[in-house]
Amino acid sequence: MGCQQLAAVTYPDPNVCFSVEKDFIPIQVDFNKNKALVKRFSVKWTPTIILFDADGNEHHRFIGFLPPEDFIAQLVLGKGKVEFDQDHFEQAMQCFQEILVRYPKADAAPEAQYLLGVTKYKAGHNPKELKLGLEALQRDYPNSEWTKKAQPYALIP
Amino acid sequence: MGKQIQWETSLTVAKAKAKKEKKLVLMDFYNNL
Repeated sequence: MGCQQLAAVTYPDPNVCFSVEKDFIPIQVDFNKNKALVKRFSVKWTPTIILFDADGNEHHRFIGFLPPEDFIAQLVLGKGKVEFDQDHFEQAMQCFQEILVRYPKADAAPEAQYLLGVTKYKAGHNPKELKLGLEALQRDYPNSEWTKKAQPYALIP
Repeated sequence: MGKQIQWETSLTVAKAKAKKEKKLVLMDFYNNL
């Protein structure tokens, strides 16, 4: 069901198509026909979307149907994680900020806010960035799990 | 009819293209059931 909905609703969306083609080489794998890749990537459910770099390093994955805006937000989040993992903090911050500006209601947004604070800290080694990130989460996403995860930063003076 | 996503079917080709075009790989595991 989820795969059919992605194919019928999300993939034909012009903005999804643009976002995919701009930053990704897309590949589809039939879960029932390619057991080697299913095993290699430990896929247990479909749809499973995995984002990885050209060297094959996985950086982000999500499962299940998502409508176009949430799907794009996940792509930008994944791109930000790639930049973050490669210590490209300025580029990572741009991705996380893009989600907060363009898709503030997406489920990816609280994680983007959390990672924005973390990335700012990593870039400048100022712990106050973590606390500012928590405050933004408490203000904009008070019920998110990412707000709970950032709670320890309240102890930063 | 708008533009459609052009899916690759080979991981080797997808990774080579990603490297050449400085892009990432998006892999969608799907089933038709």
